[in-house]
Amino acid sequence: MTIFLQSLISGILVGGVYALIGIGLTLIFGVMRIINFAHGDIMMIGMYLTYMLFSMAGIDPFVSVLISFPLMYLLGVFLQKVLINRVLDALPQNQILLTIGMGLIMSNTMMLAFTSDYKILSTTYSSSSISIGGISISQPLTISFLITAVITAGLYWFLVKTNTGQAVRATAQDREAAQLMGINVKRMSGIAFGLGAGLAGTAGALISPTYYIFPQVGSVFTLKAFVITVLGGMGSVVGAAIGGVIVGVSESMGAVYISSGWKDVVVYVIFLLVLLFKPSGLLGKSRM
Amino acid sequence: MAILEIQHVSKFFGGLAANSDVSFSMEEGMIMGLIGPNGAGKTTLFNCITGYYPPSKGDVFFKGRRMNGLQPDKVCKLGMVRTWQKVRPLGKLSVVDNVMVGALCRTNSLRVAREIAMEQIEVVHLSHKADFLAGGLPIGERKKLEVARVLATKPDLLLLDEVMGGLNPSESEEIIRLILDIKARGVSQMVIEHDMKTIMRISDRIVVLNSGEKLTEGSPDEVVQNQAVIDAYLGESHA
Amino acid sequence: MATTTTTSSSKAALVKLAIALLIVGSLFAVPRYVSSPYALHIMILIFLSTIMGESWNILGGYTGQYSVGHAAYFGVGAYTTVMLMQFRQVPPWIGVWAGIAAVLVVALIIGSICFRLRGPYFVLASIAVAEIMRLSATNLNSITKGAEGILATEIPVFKIGEHVVTDFLTKVPFYYIGLSLALITIAVTWGVQHSKLGYYFQAIREDQDAAHSLGINIPLYKNIGLAISATLTALAGSFYAIYVGFVDPTTVLSLDLSVQIVLVCIIGGIGTIYGPVVGAIALVPLSEALRSNVIAEGIFKTGFVDPASATGTFLKENLAHAHVLIYGILVVIVILFMPEGVLGFIRKLGSRMKKGKA
Repeated sequence: MTIFLQSLISGILVGGVYALIGIGLTLIFGVMRIINFAHGDIMMIGMYLTYMLFSMAGIDPFVSVLISFPLMYLLGVFLQKVLINRVLDALPQNQILLTIGMGLIMSNTMMLAFTSDYKILSTTYSSSSISIGGISISQPLTISFLITAVITAGLYWFLVKTNTGQAVRATAQDREAAQLMGINVKRMSGIAFGLGAGLAGTAGALISPTYYIFPQVGSVFTLKAFVITVLGGMGSVVGAAIGGVIVGVSESMGAVYISSGWKDVVVYVIFLLVLLFKPSGLLGKSRM
Repeated sequence: MAILEIQHVSKFFGGLAANSDVSFSMEEGMIMGLIGPNGAGKTTLFNCITGYYPPSKGDVFFKGRRMNGLQPDKVCKLGMVRTWQKVRPLGKLSVVDNVMVGALCRTNSLRVAREIAMEQIEVVHLSHKADFLAGGLPIGERKKLEVARVLATKPDLLLLDEVMGGLNPSESEEIIRLILDIKARGVSQMVIEHDMKTIMRISDRIVVLNSGEKLTEGSPDEVVQNQAVIDAYLGESHA
Repeated sequence: MATTTTTSSSKAALVKLAIALLIVGSLFAVPRYVSSPYALHIMILIFLSTIMGESWNILGGYTGQYSVGHAAYFGVGAYTTVMLMQFRQVPPWIGVWAGIAAVLVVALIIGSICFRLRGPYFVLASIAVAEIMRLSATNLNSITKGAEGILATEIPVFKIGEHVVTDFLTKVPFYYIGLSLALITIAVTWGVQHSKLGYYFQAIREDQDAAHSLGINIPLYKNIGLAISATLTALAGSFYAIYVGFVDPTTVLSLDLSVQIVLVCIIGGIGTIYGPVVGAIALVPLSEALRSNVIAEGIFKTGFVDPASATGTFLKENLAHAHVLIYGILVVIVILFMPEGVLGFIRKLGSRMKKGKA
């Protein structure tokens, strides 16, 4: 029972960070109908950014979110304006390949800059944990989960309460209608990609105290992000949050009850099952 | 003998009935007009008949055979084929290749298929465009291509979904002549069309749908004098 | 595709045939005159890329099913052949059939799962399935030796009766096998394009619903396309494994490999017979040049950069790793500026020049 609770809790904590990655991807898909295969690589850049801020300026990874989020937002807006915007009406496969190409450029540029060595960002609290009733809870994971919760709540507030947020949602629901209503959909696409990149970068920052940093780390997370968004229903922010937790929990359960080598297989199998039997995602058709 | 018999067909989407309890039958060789205001369930009925959705309730019989649950490709092989309201050309294939895809339903030989295709292109007066890419045709010619392609499958029953939508009067006139020509060759047709004048002119019998239900059925003269039909249409045009 | 029988077009066809025969003939003559193992190696890699590209093209280019999981078929073919050779002493020319059989079983399972999905969902599912294969190969230590991979120690001598055909000690036999396989896949693609299959595949690519209404059994034809594509990819995998003599999950089952297979087609031109050939000829020498530092040496020779300087050392150390970066840049350029691939781009340029003259 302790083992069960232990893996449940650490699954939920990791799942929080996964949720951030998934929400970013789902926002981009919702507004632009583009599946961003460079999503994990954007997150990887966030990890390196955090690593540099920590090793060169001594900024704590959790504090660095305040710097990396806006920087990554700008990177996202830039990528959208320069590249993505040109293929909005292209064939879906060409959109996919473009983002795959973007991902290759990002990961290999980082490899040239930092070599492919694994970097470890070790803080004083990287491996410390709190123990409650025999269950040990990782301190950095707990902090990152709390930050995730705050960001998700903030994003939700932005999308529901602010004018810009509502315009983003309207664009996601029906691009043409939104355009007819006078919404600047190009600007909304930029915002969506910026937010998506910002969230991915933040996830990278939050995960860096507990994860190896290397140029190819992105592809693993790109795939996870897909699984998460499909689980939650493409385009649904709430769905992605729940999907992230589901993936986190199934990974940690898979690692404990099957073996750590097979934990990703468990996730992919769940993914395929959802695609086959409930392709609209676990939350059905609801969007955002 | 009835070529098509529709018995108590209903189609629900969630709680909404797109068709409810529609029944009628169609004699071989005739042109059946299917009319009704927007959202009356005409295209849904086409989809149920040709296997795109299974009907939620009721049966469809084609040449005496029960069709429920058969996939569209099987339906086509049995001799019933439909066109699409929004035309669906195979854009990167040439006109003749488009029609050959239809013809290959009856033959495995490319040579034979090409012969059939050239014939049908001739029938719809597109021979001069045979080697053009289908994606680049103007709308009128796309509609003709759509008809040539289904004719190449050698159907016994053709379901035409608004083949005259978006055409100018002379193009429509051409299609009307084409439909009558197809009838003369003994192919039965069910036609969805918005323009009442046209439908009155070409149909042997007309079924009127309204909000998913069959409002009435009869000869063009009977239908045009039917009070319920007048109400449904006036209701629409005055709204 | 038109089979017009005017004399001018049949003359053109004859000329084309003559050129093709000339090219094929000289390709077969190459090992007689070229003894450099490195040159032969590059040629073999071009053949291999051609085989992979052509096989993907049948499913992705003609049928429009963008699989980004073809490493699954490549890897299963490679593993089966090497495992049979290494652990069961089955010679590769027999093992390859077992590899194809295994791949067909895998393809059938994958097809029944993934073909229910369309567009981006199909892409994602194909990736997921390939990743499951990779993780399984990594984790099934007792069967596949896991991440460590399998080293093929010795290829048996190929004999017909008592006559020794080849002992596989040089690159020459691999050159001929690669060339023959490449020609076979091109021939298969040609055959597909000029048959009912080709028409049905392209109809499915252009509009699945329209194709369905015209009497095309969609799951059947998608699975036929997959079976052809997977079989040829398995051949490529087996050939690669025997040539290199080593398989491990990250080289023969990785997502990178799946992406590279797609790239060969995209860069050359998708849905055309010669697109993958063009893609292979463009990509292989480029990535080999980067890998072997030819480009860095070239830059030093021009005298712009001193090899002893900091930039020089950086180039020497890193340009070799940059080939994937160049791949990435190429993809972005091709998608943005020539979405129909190099072949389509050249054709467009050609027709524009013709118009300019007229």
